[in-house]
Formats: sequence, structure tokens, C-alpha cells
Amino acid sequence: MVEKLSFSKGQRLRALFIIANIMFFILIGIIVLVPLWKVIADSFDEKASLIQFRMLPADFTLDAYKMILEQDRLYRPFLISVATTVIGTLCSLTVTTLFAYGLSQKELLGKKIFLTYVLVTMVFRAGIIPIYTAVSKLGLVDTLISVVVIILVDAYYLILMKNFFSTIPVDIIDAAEIDGCSPLRVFMQIILPLSKAGLAAIGLFIVVNYWNMFFEYLMFINDTKLYNFQVKVRELVLNADTAGMEQTEFSTQTLRNSVVVLTIVPVLILYPIVQKYFVTGVNLGAVKE
Amino acid sequence: MNKAQALSPLGKRFKKSFAFYFFMLPGIIYFALFHYFPIFNMYIAFKEFNLAGEGDWIGIANFVEMFSSSKFYQVVGNTLILSGFNILLQMSVVIVISLLLNEIRFRLFKRTIQTIIYLPHFLSWVVVASVFHLILSPQTGIVNVLIQIFGGKPIYFLGKEEWWRPVYLFILLWREIGWGTVIYLAALSGIDPQLYEAANIDGANRFTQMRVITIPHLIPTMVAVLIWNLSKVLNLFHSVLVLYSPAVYDVSDVIETYVFRKGIQDGSYGYATAVGIFKAIIAFILVISANKIVKKLRGEAII
Repeated sequence: MVEKLSFSKGQRLRALFIIANIMFFILIGIIVLVPLWKVIADSFDEKASLIQFRMLPADFTLDAYKMILEQDRLYRPFLISVATTVIGTLCSLTVTTLFAYGLSQKELLGKKIFLTYVLVTMVFRAGIIPIYTAVSKLGLVDTLISVVVIILVDAYYLILMKNFFSTIPVDIIDAAEIDGCSPLRVFMQIILPLSKAGLAAIGLFIVVNYWNMFFEYLMFINDTKLYNFQVKVRELVLNADTAGMEQTEFSTQTLRNSVVVLTIVPVLILYPIVQKYFVTGVNLGAVKE
Repeated sequence: MNKAQALSPLGKRFKKSFAFYFFMLPGIIYFALFHYFPIFNMYIAFKEFNLAGEGDWIGIANFVEMFSSSKFYQVVGNTLILSGFNILLQMSVVIVISLLLNEIRFRLFKRTIQTIIYLPHFLSWVVVASVFHLILSPQTGIVNVLIQIFGGKPIYFLGKEEWWRPVYLFILLWREIGWGTVIYLAALSGIDPQLYEAANIDGANRFTQMRVITIPHLIPTMVAVLIWNLSKVLNLFHSVLVLYSPAVYDVSDVIETYVFRKGIQDGSYGYATAVGIFKAIIAFILVISANKIVKKLRGEAII
């Protein structure tokens, strides 16, 4: 009898823990989501600057988004963000996978040298001023080429891709080579189609990196016409006092919130796919040379 | 390596490798131009180099200036304080969250929570800073609205020296709390379930199981993460750049933001490079040692 009682008491404690644990994670979820939700709600709120506690717009409006669509100074940075992200990702994937495929060749002469060549850049970084000097000497300051090429190959993704290619059975490649396929054709028609998971994993991270880039713009670009959306958001929201915002009929506060929302949206759209693949990325990371 | 897979003679290997050198060429050029060329450019630390242009060689004068400047010690101090607290706070919270998350048996709920808490990691620092800038604003921010409702005075969280550090650490935690759990959850899912079954038969309750099975299995991961984070102790940069302001430089200015202001904004390229070299060398030593230690402990290097 006593034993039975203590057993049920144990169950009760367990049930209590399970409930408390779930409540705890609901709270964590709220802490993560509320700041984002508040910004989204305020981006549709005509009276965003109204000092009052609320979680939904006081006066619903789409004016801020319309304003972004109409004003060159607002939509131009957005288009620059889209363009550099698309071009950057394509270039980055091409250069990274080609390099990785070369490195993954078992019989590559000088493989150790090439690997060291890459790994050195992971542990020793020149720092921002020497990088700026180099980009400046190459004549790339104030061009969008600078921000596209500066993160063209990430050593970490390169190694991930190389390890991914190494897992593809050699027999397939040998068979193709006997049939007279050139290495480039083998790569394009056999290797790449077999590597969709790896490509998706690093591709999505590369997209996010290009989309989220802002510091490189501050460093290499003086011409405000070439700024991307992140830099624009920084100017409008973080440096609001110096940005010289013109006063409009509706609250500038609404506009501030809406530009932040527009920066989040592409990440939100990609996020479910990213989530599906980042586990692949993390697992790939476990496969070490 | 398998002995049976003997390598072909050199000549044949070179012929086979030749095409792949072309594949690798663009990447090799990239690293040469944007990693090795900058490393070469570090020589400007030994020159007088400012807005007036590249001047004379001045030996170690820039380094002497650096070590005799009180600002330099302040930014190194700030970097260590902010990073140190961040590593301690982040690790302890992330480990607790991982252990608790691992206890949740409702798969859908667990997945939903994971989806939510991983999200901020994918937002740029500009977005994260903007979100908190908006909700912490002393005039319109919702946090200050609440404070006023409860009769308090609005607080300028990001503009007051006594508030900046705790708020900064909270924002870092907010962004990375979920992402940090990925590595621990992977380690947790690797624990053999038979261990728990055996413990169950022996009558061990969940907390005892956590103490004798889960935590010992997590320790290698914890040590690896700790060492790896310690090796990156000097790397705070973008998060500070978007969250600090001149009013709080004394408590927030870190090595990289100092280098950025001195170099890119003031144009003291030579001096800023000297500070950068100091950082690069310490960071290099830390990363290499961390890699060695982890390799010894886990038999597997990070790099």
C-alpha cells in the first residue's frame, strides 16, 4: 500500500514537471516571438507612435508598404539586395562546388597543399583594414562587385561540400569516364544531380549570408545609391536622428517597422526549407577530414 | 588510408589532376585576392598611412602608440568582459534549455518550439538591433510603455551606460539561444536508449538518469563548445556595431569597432591595422590551441 502510494506520488511529480516544462517553453516561445510580432503589428499601424500598450494595430494601414513601393530611395535598396543575393549565390555556388569537387578527388596531386591553402584562411584573418586596402587597390571600392565577391567562397562550406562529394561512390564516376565523359560533363551531369541535398544546404546558408550582409557595404561603399536594404534599414531605424527623414502625413514610425518587416520576409519564406536542410549541414559538419 | 588503394604513379596522377586544377582556379584566385592579398597588406601597420596617403616606414611606432593608449586597454577590457559574460550566460542557459527540451515527449510541440527558437539566428544583426531598438525605444517602445503604465519612468536602455551591457547580453541570448541547442540536441540523440532502459529497470528516476547518464554524455560536447567559444573571445563585432552609440562607447566599444572607427572612419589606416594585427595574432593562437585541446579530448579536431 505504501509502495503504491509513493509510486503515484512519483507520477504526480512527473506530471507536474511535464506541465511546468511545457509552460516554460511556451514562455520562451513568447519571448522570442513577441518582439517580432510587435514590429509586424506596428508596420500596419497608422498610429505606431501612439504611446499605448497594444499588440494589434490601433488603425490599420498599408501606407508604409505603398510608400516603399512608390519611392525610389526605398525600393531601390530592396532591388539591390535581391540582385546581389541572386547573383552572389549563383557565383558562390559555382566557384565553391567546382573547387570542392577538385579537392574531393582522391588522386589530386598537391591535395594537401590546396587544403592547407584554404584552412590557413580559416584560422588567420587579415582583419578589416587590410581587407579594405586590398579591395581598394583592386579598384573595387564603390562597386557592387566588391560586396558580391568578398564572401564568394566560405572555407567552411567549401570543406562541407568537399566531404559531401567524397561520399559519392567512385564506381559511378569511373563508369562514366570509361564511356568517354569529360570531367566537366561528369561533374555537371552526374555529380551535381546527386548532390542536391548538399547544394540546397549550403545554398540556403549562402542566400541568407548575402541577404543579411550590411557591414561590407559600410566598408566598401560610399555611394548611397548602391546601398542594400539592410543598410537602408540601419539608416532609417538605428541612425534615425542623422538620416534626415522627411516628415510625411502618416507616422514615420510605421515606415520604420515596415522596412524591418520587409527584411525579415524573405528569410521567413526560406526558413522552412532552411530548417529542413540545416540538419544535413550540421551532420555534414560532423564528417571531418 | 587503405593500403589496397595504392596511388598511381606521379605522371599519371598529374595528368588526371590537370582538369581539376582548372575547376579549382576561380576559388584559388578568390582566396589569393581576398585572403592572402589582405594578409600581405598588413605591412601598412609599419607605415605612416592615413587620409593623406601611404607615407614612410615608421617601424613599430603604431604599435608603441597602441600600447600607450588608454583607449586600447579599454576596448580590450570591454571585449573580454562582454565576451566572457556572454560565453558563461549563453552556455549555461543553452545547456539547461537543451536538457529540458530533450525531456519533452510531444513531438509536434517540440518541433514547433525548435522552429520558433532557431528563427532569430537567421535574422541579420541589423534586423535584430532594429527590432530591439523599436521595442526598447524610450518614447514609443512597448517595454517603456509598460514601465510607465506601472508608474515607472521610461528608461533609455541602449543609451545608458548602466543598462547597455545587460541589454546587449540579453539580445545576444535572444538571437542565439535556439541555435546553440542544435549541437547539444545532436549529442543527446546519440545516447544509447538502452542505457535509460537499464536505469529504468534499476529503478532510477528521471533526475537520477539525467545526473548519471545524460550529463556525463554531454560533458565532451560542453568542453568542446566552451573551448571553441573561448577561442573566439575577441570576435564580437557586428552585434556591437549595430547596438552601440557614442553615449555608451565607454562600456561597449570593442576591439573591432575601435579598429573600424579608427581605420575606415578616421582614416588612420596604419594605426588601425596595428590594432588589427594584435587581434589577429591573439585570435590565431587561441584557435590553434583550442583545436589542439579539443583534438586531445575528443580525438577529433574542429578544423
